[in-house]
This record gives sequence, C-alpha cells and structure tokens, in this order.
Amino acid sequence: MNKRTEIARRIADEFASCGIRLVASLPDNWINPLIDLIGRDKRFTHVPVNREESAVGLCSGAFMGGTGSVALMGASGFMTLPYAITKINYTYEIPVFYVITLRGAVGDPNRHHVSNALYLRRVIDAIDMSCTIVDKPEEIPMVSRAYRHSRNFYRSSLVALTRDLLR
Amino acid sequence: MKYLDCFRFLAQRRTDQLVVTSAGNSGQAWWAATADTEASFYLDASMSLSTMFASGLAIALPQMRVWTFMGDGAFCMNPGALMVERDLDLPNLTHFLISNRRYGATGNAGLPNQQRNDYAAIARGMGLTRVFGFDNLAALESGFDTAVLTNAQCYTFVVLEVEPFTDAEQKLPHPPFEGPEIKLRFGRHIERVTKRNIFGYEFKGHHPA
Repeated sequence: MNKRTEIARRIADEFASCGIRLVASLPDNWINPLIDLIGRDKRFTHVPVNREESAVGLCSGAFMGGTGSVALMGASGFMTLPYAITKINYTYEIPVFYVITLRGAVGDPNRHHVSNALYLRRVIDAIDMSCTIVDKPEEIPMVSRAYRHSRNFYRSSLVALTRDLLR
Repeated sequence: MKYLDCFRFLAQRRTDQLVVTSAGNSGQAWWAATADTEASFYLDASMSLSTMFASGLAIALPQMRVWTFMGDGAFCMNPGALMVERDLDLPNLTHFLISNRRYGATGNAGLPNQQRNDYAAIARGMGLTRVFGFDNLAALESGFDTAVLTNAQCYTFVVLEVEPFTDAEQKLPHPPFEGPEIKLRFGRHIERVTKRNIFGYEFKGHHPA
C-alpha cells in the first residue's frame, strides 16, 4: 500500500469511527484517492455532487434526519460557500463538517492557487469557522475529534488537509 | 393556476410527508395553506438548496416520505442538482418545481429564457423517468394521486405551472420563526415520529438539570 492510499484509508477510518455515514464530495487531485476509496467503502453512502453548495444542502438535510455526514472538497470549492454556510449552517444552527484541501499554503507548487494562498485562511476566519489543520499522519485522529466537537456544540467546523499529508 | 389554490390543494392531500420549502413565495404559500409548525422545514433564501436538503433528509429517513418545493428561480441557479437527484433516485422524495417564470422572492423579476424553459424536458434529458406537469387545478386534482401518492419505486419530479404572486400575495406573512426554532421544532417532530435521536440527547419534557 503506497503512502497516499494508506493516508486515505486512515482518514476514511476516522470518518467511520465517529459515525459519519454520508459523504458528499467534489474532486481535488490531492483527495481523489480518498474519494475513490470512500466510493468503494460499504460503510458510507457516497454522493458525488454537482457543486459545493449542493454538499451544504445535502449534509444539512442529513443532519436533520440524524445521519452523520461530511462535505469533502477542494479549497477552491470551499471558497464558493460563504453564503450557503452562513445562510443554512449559521442561520439554522445546523452543524456541517467540512474537510478540504489546504491549497495555496507553503509547499503548494501550483501558482494558479494564488487566490487560495492569499484569501482561504482569511475567509475561514471571516466566517468564524472552527478550523483544524492536519499536516502529519500522527494528526489524523484530529479528524474525528473535530467532527465530535462540531456535533457537541452544534456548530460547523472544518478540517484542512495539507499537501505534505496527502502527497 | 393560482399559486395559493395549488398550495391549498397540496395541503389537503398531504398526510404524513415531511416538507421542505424553498425561498420566499413557496414558504409563504405553504405557511398560508397549512400553518404547519412541526413537519415543515422553511428553508428561507437558500438560493437553490431546498431539494438537496430534502435529499439528505430522504437518505437519512428512508421510511419517511419527503416533499420539497423549489421555485424555478432557484432551479435556474442550480439545475445540476437534478443530476444528483437522478443519481440518488430516492423513491421517498418528490420534487415539486414551482414554475411561475419569475424570481418571486425578489418582486417577480424575470428569469433568463423564461418563456422557453421546458423544465419537464430538461428533467427527462437528465434521465428522469417519473416526470409530471400540471398547469391547471383540474388537471392537478385528477392526476395527483398517480403522480405523487402512488408508491413509486423511483424519484418523482412534478412541474407545477402557477401564476406569480400578486402584489397583495407578496405581502403574505412569512413563517414567524427564527432559524434555530424551525430546526428544533422540525427535528423534535422527526424524533417523535421515527424514534431517531437527532440532537444527541433525549428530550424528556423538562429542562435537564
């Protein structure tokens, strides 16, 4: 098992361990192995969605039905979400758990992610989203801890996965 | 058909379905027709996410039937959601597309391509098979049971052609609740009906010590 597959397996195990059963996803090269794995994993209902806002709606409805979920996406997709998050998650106090890639951070060689480099963290801060950065394999257990924290406090939260972890 | 007449008819035919409304007019009309404070989630101004919200609910609660309203203004913002709904093909979900050819919640501003949009054809083009359309009350009354109340084995999409709200109807009250109250009323109803634990602790009718 190569490193990327092993990391994906461990993150999927974290999802399952805290009661996540529904995964709404959009692709990003860094997390595609994780998405592929989840798509084959019988512990999850995997829903590839058409755009990131749809993941917000889907996971919010799943919460109201008592099903644990995660919205899994790239950083650029997350940057399209402030209205949906503040409108649904914050107005109704429906917690949704987001796992994204930390594009644009130190170590990202892709210059086209300059907008994420400049603004992703600031946008997360601007909407007061609880953010946990997972940068090393030994930090992967923070995924389920962040999920449980979100459910305990009825507030949305976010885990950002770094390139060093995923590549 | 008249928007409110259509919704009054839907309210008469509803039994135990959970309902998710879309922005503005459908929330106002459903509130006017039902005054439901428990089994309806008034998802205000989500800009196209009512059917995805309802899909998550329907996945989580396969034993419950879910109705969801989406205005065609919202549909214009996120038609690709229908692709996801087709993939999911949830037999316990009915999507009512409320077509008034306007952005009703913003003063009946016109939609792009408003006269040519054929929502049923768009749905069929995405592979939906249970697609129905009604543009008058008599047709809705005669076709409703076949379209909606049958125990279908797949997801159902219903286009309802209605007249835009009049100026007087635009002043109909919105459901008088803040977001967290809507969440709690709706969630408690689901807990009572399904015995599922939505909020992580049991409500026993008194404040916890």
